[in-house]
Amino acid sequence: MSVLAFWLLFLTGVGAFVAQVQRRVRIIASTTNTFSLDDLGFRVNRFIVDVLLQRKTIVERPAAGIAHAFVFWGFIAFGGYTLTEFLHGLGIVDLTDMAWFQAYRLGLAPFAVVVLGGILFLLIRRAFLRPVALGKTVSAESIVIALFIAALMITYLTGLAFELSPTLAQINWWIHMSVILAFMALIPASKHFHLVLSPITVFLKGKELGALPNLDFEKEEVGLETLKDLGSKIRLDAFTCVECGRCQVNCPAWGAGKELNPKAIILQTQDALLADGQSKKLVDVYTDKVLWQCTTCGACENQCPVGIEHLPLLIGSRRGLVSNGDAPDYLGAMYNQLERRGNIWGLGYDQRQKFVTSAGLETFDPSKHEYLVWLGCAGSFEADYQKSLRALFEILRKQGVTFGVLAKEKCTGDPAKRTGNEYMFQELANQNIEDLKASKAIRILTSCPHCVKTIGADYKRFGYDVEIMHSAEYVAGLLRDVEPGTGNREPGTGNREPVTYHDPCYLGRYAGKHEEPRTLLARFGADIKEPVRNRDNPFCCGAGGGLLFADKEEEPGSRISDVRFGQLQETGAKTVVTACPFCSIMLKGAQASAGPAAAEMQFVDLMTYVNGRLQPRATGG
Amino acid sequence: MILVIAEQRDGKLNRATWETIVGAQQLAGGSTPITVVVPGGKEASGAANDIAAARVKEIVTLEHDSLRGYTPDGFTAALQGAIGELAPAFVLLPHTYQTRDFAPKLAARLDRALITDVTGIKTGSPTSFSRPMFQGKLTADVAPQGPGPHFVTFQIGAYRADQAQRGSSPAPVRAMAAKLDPGAIRQTIEPPFQQAKQAVDLSQAERIVSVGRGIKEQTNIAIAEQLAKAMGAEIAASRPICDSGWLPMERQVGSSGQTVAPKLYLALGISGAIQHLVGMKGSHTVVAINKDPDAPIFEIADYGIVGDLFEIVPAMIEALKS
Amino acid sequence: MKIAVCIKQVTTREWQPRLDDGKTWIREQDAAFEMNEPDQYALEEALRLKEKHGGEVVVCSAGPSRVAQVIREALARGADRAIHVEDDGLANADAFVASAALASAMKDEQFDLILTGLQSDDQGFAQVGVILAEKLGLPHATIIMEVEVTAGSRGLRVKRELEGGWFQWVSMPLPAVLTIQSGINQLRYATLKGIMAAKKKEVKKAPAPAGLAPKQKILSLYVPEKSKKTQIIGGSPAEAAKELVKKLRDEARVL
Repeated sequence: MSVLAFWLLFLTGVGAFVAQVQRRVRIIASTTNTFSLDDLGFRVNRFIVDVLLQRKTIVERPAAGIAHAFVFWGFIAFGGYTLTEFLHGLGIVDLTDMAWFQAYRLGLAPFAVVVLGGILFLLIRRAFLRPVALGKTVSAESIVIALFIAALMITYLTGLAFELSPTLAQINWWIHMSVILAFMALIPASKHFHLVLSPITVFLKGKELGALPNLDFEKEEVGLETLKDLGSKIRLDAFTCVECGRCQVNCPAWGAGKELNPKAIILQTQDALLADGQSKKLVDVYTDKVLWQCTTCGACENQCPVGIEHLPLLIGSRRGLVSNGDAPDYLGAMYNQLERRGNIWGLGYDQRQKFVTSAGLETFDPSKHEYLVWLGCAGSFEADYQKSLRALFEILRKQGVTFGVLAKEKCTGDPAKRTGNEYMFQELANQNIEDLKASKAIRILTSCPHCVKTIGADYKRFGYDVEIMHSAEYVAGLLRDVEPGTGNREPGTGNREPVTYHDPCYLGRYAGKHEEPRTLLARFGADIKEPVRNRDNPFCCGAGGGLLFADKEEEPGSRISDVRFGQLQETGAKTVVTACPFCSIMLKGAQASAGPAAAEMQFVDLMTYVNGRLQPRATGG
Repeated sequence: MILVIAEQRDGKLNRATWETIVGAQQLAGGSTPITVVVPGGKEASGAANDIAAARVKEIVTLEHDSLRGYTPDGFTAALQGAIGELAPAFVLLPHTYQTRDFAPKLAARLDRALITDVTGIKTGSPTSFSRPMFQGKLTADVAPQGPGPHFVTFQIGAYRADQAQRGSSPAPVRAMAAKLDPGAIRQTIEPPFQQAKQAVDLSQAERIVSVGRGIKEQTNIAIAEQLAKAMGAEIAASRPICDSGWLPMERQVGSSGQTVAPKLYLALGISGAIQHLVGMKGSHTVVAINKDPDAPIFEIADYGIVGDLFEIVPAMIEALKS
Repeated sequence: MKIAVCIKQVTTREWQPRLDDGKTWIREQDAAFEMNEPDQYALEEALRLKEKHGGEVVVCSAGPSRVAQVIREALARGADRAIHVEDDGLANADAFVASAALASAMKDEQFDLILTGLQSDDQGFAQVGVILAEKLGLPHATIIMEVEVTAGSRGLRVKRELEGGWFQWVSMPLPAVLTIQSGINQLRYATLKGIMAAKKKEVKKAPAPAGLAPKQKILSLYVPEKSKKTQIIGGSPAEAAKELVKKLRDEARVL
């Protein structure tokens, strides 16, 4: 009798599970396949580290992360136990008397204790500590699931610790098994679906942060316009979201009080997919205002522990808007400058030539020069940044490194790519690649992290593969064995100068190069006072994604650059070292707007800093 | 004979006509006679009496009621008749907005060459006219082809009005009746007006005085405003000034403010951060006054003074008064 | 409304001109080209008028085969079709020859309105629009800042720009020719969809009429002496200020 009853319960629970899963799987599969499966070795490695060893969950939130890891490992440990009990309950086979099972059952005890402790901590954190990332209201379903997990561990421990009468034992068993089946019925429609999906999502996540494949114009691809256009990976992402809010609290737009919230974007996608109106426009799902507030810093995608890729969705939606002429006015003006002058400033190329001549730069010749220096648009036109490039040239010359520049450069196309103007990007990229190939350069140096990403990663998709390095990384290696001079410090002072270093998003996060600048600074006399967000998780300066020009409209909240400037001021250091022309422009702008109190802050580029301390002190007389 | 077509409105002669006289006198070389035609209604005689002070052979007013307000159809028809009667070798005009509106039509009507925006004359065989090309990067010496009369318009300011030779006595003025059919004039004109200044529109300003952080305090903006008034300029600012509320947001120039392209942009105490530059780089003439000789603004300035703006600006206001 | 826009392909503003061997024209092989900027504003105005009043926008251009670049760009921005008067000899034609070439291809189309930029960025004579109006027997107005279509699409009321911040409204019947001032509107950028659609739009080729005689000849082309260098004015503040005002008055002529 009880076997039959259990079968009924089993079929109900599993049936509910399967039906909901089937619906979601159909939504995910009924579109273009955008899963990536290249480099299996890398993926397996990432799977082991991030899923099995729970690295991503633990690193940013150690307490909650470890608690979650305990629950996760407990679940896995209990797998065999649960399976055996089901087989027993369904009357298929009874292995519960086997010696190995008894031993196994006992061995689960420490897991159960640790899971119980973990889940209680997480429950208290969610219900009482109420961190901002988890949302304004306490999710009832999360409480229910947490209580279920607690119930499972309690029933297990009860069964283990006490000698129960047969009736009580039966009741205990039925509670345990019913909770499991109720759990199964609940999870597909809840954030706990990540139990099933996240290992898959993490495995299928692209290798590159912010990967944006080229649009194929032959196939008339224009980007993402409606829900129908969302590919399989984005749909999988939408159902995997665990609502942890790591993306939200690390987003600089959200941190500056704007409306963009990456978590909301993913959850809105999920709701929209389930509501089934496949022709619904994405701009109606998210509102276009929010789409233009993203700086493409990548914090959201980088922080996500379950493998969600936010940037292809955000920028893909931008592409859809731009293809229809719906980019905001300030971007339209920027595109016109790019088209007519090949740079975002709209300045003429005689300006670049003036700099090239006055800095004594030679046209790159592979028979004479080891390195090609890519000036970029700031290097070509921005007078302030050119000072730091002059410092770089001095460093290179002093060390006997031979280098040259291209006769002409156009903007790499980064601002067009990140704002969704794929056509403009490909036009610029093709022209640059032609010039780069013709130059026969095989090693490129640049001081702009955006150029590093665009030439190093995005140009690869056109078949152009070159070694490109940011000056910070190169110079750190170049000066590894060089003794710093006293520079312009007083002789005999052992004092280290307190500075703070702002990691550029495209260098610290995208390229993962955050130790080389620190090595350089420390070796050359800096006492680095770290700001709150640093290394591979900096708080963006606010220039990326086209936001450099975006100040025009009335927007809620503060400027992202003002928030970051405040964080740098809080370190107490009066000198800010930067390694990206745009960080420098934005932060200096923030300083100018911050009033007289901020006037004492100094900004210096990393190359200028190092070069100033390479000279031996000038002797008097 | 060299014919100069004068421009006047409501009897007031356009100063550019005097500049054209200078060009005509250069072309004439002292031997060829110069006639000035003044088209218009009855008010044309007022302007005619003004220009009679020039050293020319005669002034001819080309009068008709339908020429009182300028229309391209009316002026073309009337001047076609006058030129037919006077038979000049050259027809010279100032390159004003009005001339640009009808001179090509007149030249095409007569199927004759027209060379515009001329900055210099090279007399010889053949005589050629110098003019800018490719946004002023190159200069061309152009010779008209085909039978005369040849039409030439002079760039405003290419010649200085005060260099026109004056006659020892006023030149004779006579009237010529314009031959035109008023019914064939297809344009209906309304009186010219100046744009009402309701809102600040820096993009229309011809001259701008712009202040940056070098102005130091809000109270100091007053001297910049005095300079602007003395120059007939609008006041503008870089972003930090507007962020602090010292000037309204509509006066902000830069990538997050207005984009301007005035004839004159005078930057006071502005360092020249690139976000400001992109908002004013289209300015015809840029003047920078800044204490810091390394300020990036000097890279794009046509004229610069490295010094204390609090001493320089008052001196400029004095110099402008004289 | 059937609107025509005459566009010219010119060397880009940033391009440093190099002279050909005869020093009477530029070396075209090294040059980069783009659509003349005032013509871009004329095209934008035509597209806006079409959006408001319906009809079609036809771009017309006279020049060698390379002109196809700007024609395609105009089609990508939204023009419906194009007419290309193709002839290598039109590369550095004067305004009379260019106008005659355009007029020959345009006269049978019966356009309601023809727009051109007020002048070209390369030669800058500012004549083609007006000569075209004369050749087609149409009324015209130049340096226009605003266009209103009136009288049930049979008339125009346009705002002319005059010197010194003055303006004037002028009315005339359609068909007519207008030359458009830069800055009249905000230029749209060519969208991806526009670029794709442009490939399918009609470009009619027309031959240049024979025997067009130029009315001017460039005897020599050269770099002017005054180069674009910053003049730093020295001296005491009072002296420098006086010198600056003098230069602004007499040299730059902006006061």
